Amino acid sequence: MILQVCTKVCLFIIILFSVHSFFAGHYEPGGGFIGGLMTSGALVLLLIAYDMKTLKNILPIDFKYLIAVGLLFAVGTAAASLFFNVPFLTHAFGDVQIPILGETALHTATLFDLGVYLVVIGVTMTIIQTIGEDE
Amino acid sequence: MAFQILLNLCMAIIWMLFKNSYQPMDFFVGYMTGLIIIFIFRRFFDSRFYIYRILAIVHLLLVFIREVLLSNIAVLKIVLAPKLDMKPGIFALPIGITKDWEIYILSCLITLTPGTLVMKVSNDQKTLYIHAMDIPDIEESINGIKNGFERLIRDVSR
Repeated sequence: MILQVCTKVCLFIIILFSVHSFFAGHYEPGGGFIGGLMTSGALVLLLIAYDMKTLKNILPIDFKYLIAVGLLFAVGTAAASLFFNVPFLTHAFGDVQIPILGETALHTATLFDLGVYLVVIGVTMTIIQTIGEDE
Repeated sequence: MAFQILLNLCMAIIWMLFKNSYQPMDFFVGYMTGLIIIFIFRRFFDSRFYIYRILAIVHLLLVFIREVLLSNIAVLKIVLAPKLDMKPGIFALPIGITKDWEIYILSCLITLTPGTLVMKVSNDQKTLYIHAMDIPDIEESINGIKNGFERLIRDVSR
């Protein structure tokens, strides 16, 4: 019971930290890989505190599809550069004015990183679930 | 609901600590990030995602403002009419909501929309006694409005 109540708060702080290190990846230590691992770490905490059924109730997604979507993101951002007559995997960046956030530097490498993030979550959770369900 | 809001505020503050910059902008970004995370994990909580409830409150407010405007115009018409041919009366309105604050909000809304006035809540809290300014043509439509308010209030507290 103590573990479950603690999970209810800690889970969100862990995921928040993983999102922070995901976005910090460009200038500071962090990035898609460590962010994804930390998010799946939070999900594993959920699995330990509750059970497999609860996780399926909360996140009704097949983590195998997450791998596919992540790979699609990575290939998509890499292939998009071909349309602008530049080599494969060339990235673009620029300062964009967003209504509320003000001037923000956006870089397409973030989308590539998002692909890494999703693949890492997908792979880790698939491994854990496959091992966990094996009776 | 209160737990979710508190959690979201804590997440925004923790986000500012992560970023090590304390501008209102960072609070906003952290709050939005927390909102998205809570939305993804919304089935984790016993109550529903709290933004839905806030939307229901805003909806109730907007409907209330519209009703006040419309019914004030209706009263203005009656006041300015040369003949007083209205028929005042008292009727009972059975209500389905049970919590004290829900009944309080409903009776305040009924009283604030002119033309009707809550006189008493019955002792078992299942009936409102309402004084209406013009009974014959209004009672049906008033009942409709009250059911509308009641449904909106139930939507807030669900």
